[in-house]
Amino acid sequence: MASKLITNQPSFKRQLSPTAKRSSTPLSLLAAQIYSEFMQNFRVPEFLIGVAVIPTILFMMFGLPNAGESLPGGTTIGSLMMASFAAYGIVSLCIFTFGVDIAQERGRGWLRLMRASPLPAWVYFAGKLVMAILFALVIMALLFLVAVLFGGVRLAGLEWLQLSLSLLLGGLSFSSMGFALAYWTKPRAASAIGNLVFLPLAFVSGFFFPLNQLPDFLQRLAPYLPTYHYGQLVWASAGKADDVALYVGQPIGASWVSMAWLLGSFLVFGVLAWWGYKRDQVEQFG
Amino acid sequence: MKENLSTDTHFPVVSLQGVSKYYGSHQALNDVHLDVHPGEVLAFLGPNGAGKTTAIQIMLGLRQASQGSVKLFGETPGPRVRNRIGVMLQDSGLPENLTVAELIRLFASYYPYSLPVEEVLERADLVAKRKAMVRQLSGGQRQRLYFALAIIGDPDLIFLDEPTVAMDVSARRIFWQQLQEFAALGKTVLFSTHYLDEADEMADRIVVMHQGAVLKDGSPQDIKRLVAAKTVKLKTDLSLASAQGFKGVERAEKQNGHLLVYTNEPETFLQSLMLENYTMTDLTVIDTDLEAAFVSLTRTQA
Repeated sequence: MASKLITNQPSFKRQLSPTAKRSSTPLSLLAAQIYSEFMQNFRVPEFLIGVAVIPTILFMMFGLPNAGESLPGGTTIGSLMMASFAAYGIVSLCIFTFGVDIAQERGRGWLRLMRASPLPAWVYFAGKLVMAILFALVIMALLFLVAVLFGGVRLAGLEWLQLSLSLLLGGLSFSSMGFALAYWTKPRAASAIGNLVFLPLAFVSGFFFPLNQLPDFLQRLAPYLPTYHYGQLVWASAGKADDVALYVGQPIGASWVSMAWLLGSFLVFGVLAWWGYKRDQVEQFG
Repeated sequence: MKENLSTDTHFPVVSLQGVSKYYGSHQALNDVHLDVHPGEVLAFLGPNGAGKTTAIQIMLGLRQASQGSVKLFGETPGPRVRNRIGVMLQDSGLPENLTVAELIRLFASYYPYSLPVEEVLERADLVAKRKAMVRQLSGGQRQRLYFALAIIGDPDLIFLDEPTVAMDVSARRIFWQQLQEFAALGKTVLFSTHYLDEADEMADRIVVMHQGAVLKDGSPQDIKRLVAAKTVKLKTDLSLASAQGFKGVERAEKQNGHLLVYTNEPETFLQSLMLENYTMTDLTVIDTDLEAAFVSLTRTQA
């Protein structure tokens, strides 16, 4: 049977219309996907404000009033709080763009239509990833600008770079948590569950208030959360270790420990996400 | 089965051999055999739940057959053959915050070959809406946008699952005209519908589906002889036996004191009634209820 089909390949020649043109290269396909992902979200004021602007607003409310205070080593409270709210913003971005977004798209037929098209699955996910990175840059730019202009935050050039990189790379480790959420929650419940997971994580990890202001049992719980370790990495890039320890109220661990935590949680949630994705594929396309 | 495949110039672009599909214990498709040849316009005709959507999804590789084999262009449905097919599904939903032209351009980038966006806007009658956001479109315009997305990749084979379901009569007419223009480029078209009129007007070939099985596969003439498009319902002194002898009447029956006449030419039938001075009260002419027609067909065949 198979050999017969191969000898018959010529009868399956494409019959192109006179006006048809070669259209896509893998790169232009990726660019088009990223552009449309970005614009779809950029044009939704709720998304733009909820994800990109709120971290800056929170910083203005909670961070600016005592931004000028300095810790003994010279680190200002302002730079640590700037880092906290950037971390808050990026984790929320991951939970919402990967988690809630995909969960809701899953509930619509649109994904089915895309699946019936030649779009490779990896381009779909890459589009989401690059879109998230672009919005992370927007979050950081806005927050850094306000912190410098109104909070008197000053870092050396290299420190800005280190802070931005640890925010981005560390933040991306939460993408798999988002994916897991997307494939294990019902489309309509995704948003509520996203908040239910994310807000406590951000709170207990000390993104809103320094950890030493939280109840004792939460302080003891925090080191077991990936977001806490994300905070550690980010704070360590924004200030001197002794100052950060004073601010957090706990000694700062080695950065490789925090990185291992982030990598570990990325992998654990990655496995969960993959499992959920496979399960969903069977359910929808079995 | 077919042994002379290699000499057959009409090698099927779609081939289903003994395809069955179960959802749990529910059988959605029952041993379906179907070969579709290049350039054919084929309609799946059947009431809701007949298995039309499942059949289309299996052909697209969106569902896996429980039994049997499925080939598109001689290959198992999958990413490779999707370069050559265009699809319109039911209730797809669309990204609401892109413009019509942006979305069409996006889909163009998915395919290795594509038609010019301008041409597709014209074919789908969306030129005036090119800069409109998808969320601003009416139901009919959305349906035309789905059509645009289905043809942008210049597919050799196009699947349309109940494409006109949300359209009014005039929108429907325009849509079929657009599809006909596209099919005239030599495309193979498969669509599903539960209107015999549509299937008759558009298709060269009609596959009647009922309860997951192919009930009849033939030309529109064959099918119309089997299932007349219109039902004339009236009270009259014409007897059942003589009604069956009237010109254009395919079948007739008595039901609760009414005479039901199944015909493709209700005008001819009514004219003869008037000429011969039969009484007529409580008269209605309706599209034949396919579900009922098919149930009675399966009963007569069994």
